[in-house]
Amino acid sequence: MITQPATRAADAELVSASWTDPEAFAELFDRYSGMLYRYVVKRLGPEPAEDLVGETFLVAFSRRRSYDTGYSDARPWLFGILTKLISRHHRSEAARYRAMRRAPLDGDVESPADRVAAGVSAQAARPELAAALAKLPAKDRDVLLLIAWGDLTYDEVARALDIPIGTVRSRLNRGRRKVRAALGDTNPMIEEE
Amino acid sequence: MDDLKLLRDFGRELEQEPPATLVRQRRRYMGTAPRRRGRAGWAMMGAVAVATALAVAVPTLLLSNRDRALPMGSGDRPVNVSGVRNILLIGSDTREGPGNEDYGPREARQGSKARADTIALVHLPADRGKPTVVSVPRDSLVQIAACEGSPARRDMINAAYTTGGVECLVKTLEKLTGVRVDHYAEVDFSGFKKVVDALGGVEVTIKQPIEDPKAKLSLPGGRSTLDGEKALGYFRLRHTGDGSDVQRIKRQQSLLYAMLAKAKTALVTNPAGFREFLGAVTAATTTDLNVEEMYQLATSLRKSKPVFVTVPWAPAPDDPNRLVWKQPEAKELFAKLR
Repeated sequence: MITQPATRAADAELVSASWTDPEAFAELFDRYSGMLYRYVVKRLGPEPAEDLVGETFLVAFSRRRSYDTGYSDARPWLFGILTKLISRHHRSEAARYRAMRRAPLDGDVESPADRVAAGVSAQAARPELAAALAKLPAKDRDVLLLIAWGDLTYDEVARALDIPIGTVRSRLNRGRRKVRAALGDTNPMIEEE
Repeated sequence: MDDLKLLRDFGRELEQEPPATLVRQRRRYMGTAPRRRGRAGWAMMGAVAVATALAVAVPTLLLSNRDRALPMGSGDRPVNVSGVRNILLIGSDTREGPGNEDYGPREARQGSKARADTIALVHLPADRGKPTVVSVPRDSLVQIAACEGSPARRDMINAAYTTGGVECLVKTLEKLTGVRVDHYAEVDFSGFKKVVDALGGVEVTIKQPIEDPKAKLSLPGGRSTLDGEKALGYFRLRHTGDGSDVQRIKRQQSLLYAMLAKAKTALVTNPAGFREFLGAVTAATTTDLNVEEMYQLATSLRKSKPVFVTVPWAPAPDDPNRLVWKQPEAKELFAKLR
């Protein structure tokens, strides 16, 4: 989903260029504002999304001198900032998922496990998914959604949240286990990866 | 069952494309970009006070998405199509707001009107080249325009503000200078205190100890950290040094420069504190500029180093405590701002 053509300058070069020429930072905005928007709109809806994207770049710009240019890709850095900003909205985020949980279902009401097992779409499983996300501890949710919705790798999540990769794995596993349980998977012995 | 796949699908359902307005956020961070400091520029600056207020107020207004526009003057003014913009900046000592009532002489405290403590005119040329910030000494003896029932008279320029507020000051300045004033921004005292406190105080270095009951200020010589209250006293300090308004302007500039430096540090080291600071600035500023105009102004001020000047002046022949504008220099200066 996120592609980086080889021809353009690495993000790290833009960040270091912006130390002396603030204009260079605008290029980072052009590259990633849409991506960050699409991510935050999933978690918090359109209302605060625009502002949070702007704020992410505001914070990033103010910290541009402490950017580790050893990392050419700035996405994890930006996602890390955005995640911190999102955490201020964790109440409204949970409330949003709870509202989706209450959304009416179409079709016959079966047990969630049956629906999922029958390969029904996420739309059908939406109330369970939303309920699971609403209940997840914020730290587990951050990891799970950076991977599922932000398309970051484990390494990138570790860098974004400044936590060891082992912690990424354990939080992800815990999050996924709870999501599966909510979807009606009653077998706790199944552990993927 | 792949829970991650289901989650991804769920995410896709929730996904929305960014609106076109997202691009407005593009330049937001630029509003806080430290302006490059030209040595000569800062050394000679006339009205960093107000420039500072603008530099911080602009991103704040953009951040808060709040349009504090107040309709200015009568609607019969023709639209300015020249592209030139002149913005009047006023540091006011209104005592009307909460927290303002302890300042100034008693008569000023009791039901009197605001006085303009700091006056400056920001000029943006039509080509958005180098802006000019002209500091107007408040002690300037000038011909005040007739407004709000007060007849035209010769008085200190800030009397225009006391008599008829922003509109009267604008009218007076326009008559005196031939420069059209397009917008204004006001910062008041209690707001100023809050701004300093939000910054966690500001440091100044002074040569001589200061004892000034009028400004409610007592400071040892050397380096001191001033809280909002003390910083305001220092800002208003008058009866020290040679007691002139020009020396006071210099003190104000150094104080505001220290604030600006502190704000920049706060932005980098303490983003939460910086937000508080920006909030205080927003609350302290009243302006008729709308967000788009603020935005343009911020961009212009950031891109080029403003030239800071003070209206050429000389001591008033009939009153050594007042000053008059030196002609033809003042006229020549304002002619460039039209």
